[in-house]
Amino acid sequence: MKKLKKVIKNNKLIFLSILLYGITFFVSPQVFFKSVEMTKVFLIQMVEIMPPIFIISSLIMVWIPTEVITKTFGNESGFKGKLLSVLIGGFSAGPIYAAFPVAQALFYKGASVANTVIILSSWAVIKIVMFMVESNFLGITFASTRYALTIPIIIIMGYLMERLVSREDILKELNNKKVEYKSVKDVLRELPNMNCGACGYKSCQDFAEGVMRGEVVIDDCAIRKRAKKTSPVLKESHQEE
Amino acid sequence: MSTVILVIIAAGFFGFSIFKSKEKTKESLKISKNLLATTFVEIIGVMALVGWVLAIIPPSLIKQWLGNSNEFISILLSATIGTVTIIPAFIAFPLSQTLLKSGASIAAIAAFITTLTMVGFATMPIEFKFFGKKFTLHRLWISFSAAILIALLMGVILG
Repeated sequence: MKKLKKVIKNNKLIFLSILLYGITFFVSPQVFFKSVEMTKVFLIQMVEIMPPIFIISSLIMVWIPTEVITKTFGNESGFKGKLLSVLIGGFSAGPIYAAFPVAQALFYKGASVANTVIILSSWAVIKIVMFMVESNFLGITFASTRYALTIPIIIIMGYLMERLVSREDILKELNNKKVEYKSVKDVLRELPNMNCGACGYKSCQDFAEGVMRGEVVIDDCAIRKRAKKTSPVLKESHQEE
Repeated sequence: MSTVILVIIAAGFFGFSIFKSKEKTKESLKISKNLLATTFVEIIGVMALVGWVLAIIPPSLIKQWLGNSNEFISILLSATIGTVTIIPAFIAFPLSQTLLKSGASIAAIAAFITTLTMVGFATMPIEFKFFGKKFTLHRLWISFSAAILIALLMGVILG
């Protein structure tokens, strides 16, 4: 029962929609099928776009040296970094949620808060293909005026966000999600199980028991510590589990 | 079309990665898997909810809101509708076109299209996961205000 509660709590949105769809099906089948039709369009788009996005984000994590990103998109990158951020967004594909993994990878690798916001916003708004569609329907004057206003405003938004939210604010929130392990087995699953002994315990089993007793935390594991340095995403997702 | 480019970039980068180092490629796949696990369900949930909301709100109602005769109210309403919904472009642009023709103000349409793409209230739970609450909430109110500003300027320039 407790377990079920946890599953529901972790997947609130999906359970809420299942519930709503269930009710709708009985109240008005017509609306039900219409919703399914709508959702299908979104899902097709998602299935097309998200896998390449995930792959690109994780390859950025693994391959691109932090110094390179810091130099191009970090605090010192200046106005050139801002323009480049607008361009990255402009040449991208997909809705704003597709931008999150990529922008997060760049952020972890040293992109400034301002540039992260600029990448996210321009990813969502500035698109070459969309521009053509927009001018088709609403006229070229409308579309070009809107773009001409939006680009500088996005850059200003970046500067503003930089003043309101610090890098540490974001990192703190992402790292503070507490994990609770229910058994030694749970802990062991997260460990390299190489019994290297670097933590001071004889084996990973002993270390896991130590975690359960509260003597150490899981991140005292030497190998985990190293892995985390190279891939902050791992850190986050482990804590989500 | 841009999806094809995206797939090509991903495939090219991935090929390069395998060629250079199997180890690092494996590590990157692990990260991808984690990204997938933490976000896919969430995104599906968001999409299902948005699909449901769009299905119960008839387009005629949206038209009525967007075409409100008081210009300022119509800008605010359009910005709000754009914020809380996700409407695919192939619906949003034709809809805006008919609205413009039936007398909606340019500023209101600009507010609608800008918030629709930039703000993203519905995707908030996903953004929380990637950037935390503080960043997300600040980004949302700033983008919303920026969209209103863009809309007002559009109204002045083109109206």
